[in-house]
Amino acid sequence: MNELLLNLFYVLVFPGLLFCILMGILLAGLDRVWVARMQRRVGPPLLQPWYDFLKCCGKETIVPRHAKKAVYFAAPVIGFVALMTISLFLPVVNGRAAFSGTADLVVILYLLTLVSVCMMVGASATGSPFAGVGLSREMVAMISYELPFVLVILAVSRATLSYDAGTGMPLTFSLQAIMEYQEANGPLITHWSLIPAAIAMLFVIPCEVGMHPFDVSEAETEICEGTLAEYSGPPLAVYKLTHMVKMYIMTALFCVLFLGGLTTGILFFDVVIFILVCALLTFVTMSLPHAVCARFKTEQVFKFYWTVVAGLAAVSMILVWLGL
Amino acid sequence: MENFPILAIMTLFVCAFIVSLVGRRNAVVRNVVVTIAVTVPLVMMLCLIPTVFIDGETIVYWLGNWAPEADWAIGICLEVDGLSLFFGLVVTVAVFVSGLYSFTYMNHDDSLVNYYTLFLMLSGSVLGLVLSGDLFNIFVMIEIMTFTAVALTAFRNTYEGALEGAFKYLAVGSLGSTCVLLGVAMLYSQLHTLNLAQVAALLSSQGTNPVTIAAFAFLFIGFGSKAFLFPFQPLAADAHAVAPASISLMISGVLTKCGVYGIIRLVYVLYQNYDQPIVQYLVTGFGAISMFVCVTMAFNQHNFKRLLAFHSISQVGYVITAVGLGSILGVGAGLYHAMNHTIFKGLLFLTAGAVQHQTGSLDLDRLGGLGKRMPKTCLLFLIGAASISGLPPFNGFASKWMIYQAAFLHGVTTGNFYFIFICVVALITSVLTLASFIKVAQSVFFGQLPEEYKDVEEVPLTMRLPMWVLAILCILTGLFPDFIQEKLLTPAVNAVFNVVGYIDTAMGTGYAAASGVTAAGIEGIAVTGTWSPTSWLMLLFCITCAVAIVFLLASPDDKQKGFPVSSADETAQPLDAKYEPFFSGEEAVYSQVGGSDLFWGFKHSWRRYFHFMHDWHSGIVNDYALYGAVAIAFVLLFCIVLL
Repeated sequence: MNELLLNLFYVLVFPGLLFCILMGILLAGLDRVWVARMQRRVGPPLLQPWYDFLKCCGKETIVPRHAKKAVYFAAPVIGFVALMTISLFLPVVNGRAAFSGTADLVVILYLLTLVSVCMMVGASATGSPFAGVGLSREMVAMISYELPFVLVILAVSRATLSYDAGTGMPLTFSLQAIMEYQEANGPLITHWSLIPAAIAMLFVIPCEVGMHPFDVSEAETEICEGTLAEYSGPPLAVYKLTHMVKMYIMTALFCVLFLGGLTTGILFFDVVIFILVCALLTFVTMSLPHAVCARFKTEQVFKFYWTVVAGLAAVSMILVWLGL
Repeated sequence: MENFPILAIMTLFVCAFIVSLVGRRNAVVRNVVVTIAVTVPLVMMLCLIPTVFIDGETIVYWLGNWAPEADWAIGICLEVDGLSLFFGLVVTVAVFVSGLYSFTYMNHDDSLVNYYTLFLMLSGSVLGLVLSGDLFNIFVMIEIMTFTAVALTAFRNTYEGALEGAFKYLAVGSLGSTCVLLGVAMLYSQLHTLNLAQVAALLSSQGTNPVTIAAFAFLFIGFGSKAFLFPFQPLAADAHAVAPASISLMISGVLTKCGVYGIIRLVYVLYQNYDQPIVQYLVTGFGAISMFVCVTMAFNQHNFKRLLAFHSISQVGYVITAVGLGSILGVGAGLYHAMNHTIFKGLLFLTAGAVQHQTGSLDLDRLGGLGKRMPKTCLLFLIGAASISGLPPFNGFASKWMIYQAAFLHGVTTGNFYFIFICVVALITSVLTLASFIKVAQSVFFGQLPEEYKDVEEVPLTMRLPMWVLAILCILTGLFPDFIQEKLLTPAVNAVFNVVGYIDTAMGTGYAAASGVTAAGIEGIAVTGTWSPTSWLMLLFCITCAVAIVFLLASPDDKQKGFPVSSADETAQPLDAKYEPFFSGEEAVYSQVGGSDLFWGFKHSWRRYFHFMHDWHSGIVNDYALYGAVAIAFVLLFCIVLL
């Protein structure tokens, strides 16, 4: 019984549903404030994303005539829920995931894919040409960041390779193993051969989240919000929430991959430090490029990720492979 | 029990002739005979599970009771070990589904007696191939298989390109069959036997010489051509595009598996050279090139089934890559993916067939919005597409995940960077697969419905039922990977590595030891990663419930419980511009974003590559034969120089 309650607590409160949503709102709010400040505006209150979400929830949903309704409603919910499950597999605080026996790094990669796929299928189901263009761009963006992301994952897995005590088999793609390695040997960002991979990962974050210079799929001024063109009311609110939570998940994933193993020994301080680091990462990877850069063209995104970012990740992977 | 393999094969062949005798008079009798013919082998294969999979025995049946005399196998035998039975099950399930689907699907065609006769012969030959224990028998089955498949490809000979596709398949396919024959002849000249078990034993005791290595090369490329590996993939595309969907299922789900089966037998049992790096480079190299080239080719197709055809080869590339790793996990992952590929690709071909049956078109640029008219087919397609794109928790993900594990692990344990590169290619191929299925979803089932298809109806239940069988298999095999590993893969992989058992059962105990064969089975497949779909699904369910409750509580008033649905009933709504797509105040026009308009940024960046591939797939049969010949020469040189 106690175990069940504990699991429910994990799923619903921490590090699951409630914590994710709170973190997502916090990071999204901070991002908006920071971008505004950098553009010499006052900016909205910190909780503005939350107000937006509530407002969307209260609005009427208008389903276009061409839309396939079941998919139109199911897609945002499935995407959101799949994203939430990722938080349960990330060993964010204390170095332990809530459900570490369920998924590894490759599964997380695919769950993130699933989130984007739900968005694309939902957009596709609306039947709007803007959504069609949007999903096409979203897919290209996904192909773009997938290569560096995969290379980063392989580099990190190779660097932290450890062997199962019982069977002697190598543990592959295990987040737990990555955390334990970092606890023993210090965070991976301090390993010079992995610094290029860490930089590549920093670039992957905004594209995966769909933040401004890389938000080709939701380009407001060109294709009327693209994938979201036909969405309104609660389904749109769910998409907005997914977007916010993705900011948290991606920054947390970076923390796990490159900044793990640091602990003060007191849970409360650990959580506070973790939140601060997530906020810092949000500033570096999302707010700063947002304020500085104009939106890229689709093919520029693709080229940038498959040359510069993938190159960085590949350098790291080769260095790691050579045992450096 | 030991008669079941031969009875299963005979049922199919005998029923093929019965169909052509009685089927002309009465369609009901014909359908009954076909139903019996596709069901009986499946039941027999299922009956063999306890003996072969659970007890781990190998069943040998000597035709005409020609058992080996003085340690020399002269007669033909059927030898069913775990590997054969695994493929036998895959084949019979696919045949069963394809047969049931044909009844309604083929009702627009005439001369169906010919169709069913050829179909049953094709099925029988494939089953014969995977159950056979004799090299020449395998060649005969490959010939029957190729010629019936060619005839069935051209079955709808009024279609544009049907005869062309069949001719290409015939010409270049014969090249592959000839390679197999040549390989068999060379082995026979050296070893004076055709029995697989004895060949394996003799190759082990006598060692290899240039002739047997050349035979290896010929057999490899021969089986590879039957799996349509690079550079034979254009044949598959041309054949699939025009063949009936039930036959596309057979070609992609069953015929290519014969190639895979042949390569596994060749590398693991006959030559046992799977642990040599050169062989691993060769096999994984062909697999990786196939999976990558074909997925990029699929990207640009405008025909639903051509696109699926290229994906089919791409997925077989995954299988071959995994098998080529030479590790236990690799073979397990490869077999798992082979099985899953038959299931999900069969499902996708059947949905394509359903679309073709109802609309008469497979053109991705003209279709659209069918999800509204054919909602059940749309759901089935989404299940199949999610499976092939490797989205959790469907079966494609479970097996691809094992393939990544296997490739990474093999790279780590051998310290070879090449296998990590293969792993990266596999991961990127997966994302490109996803992209082209997003394209199909957008251009066939979603988007706007063209005027000409506004009265299209859902396919009848008789066609949906076979699709549901496959869809449910997609979900089940994805949700219980542990069960599949324990019950299906472990016995099959054990058989792959248990060469001693294979030889001794056929030739008598002690024969293998006398020949110096030592490989004797495995304990189990050790998967090192963590992926537990059922507990993930439980988490998913919990959170969905939580989200749903929050939304129900948060809805502003009673009328809008859950998601408010305003334009729910189309017919009740007056024609109101508000519910048209968003057009910034312009008048709504038909504006489907078709398949060829998608993914511009990617296609533009890779335009040189795509132009090159476009020119390379010239459609000229001479070119394709030339590519085949070059591949043969390459493999021959590669093997003779390096092995």
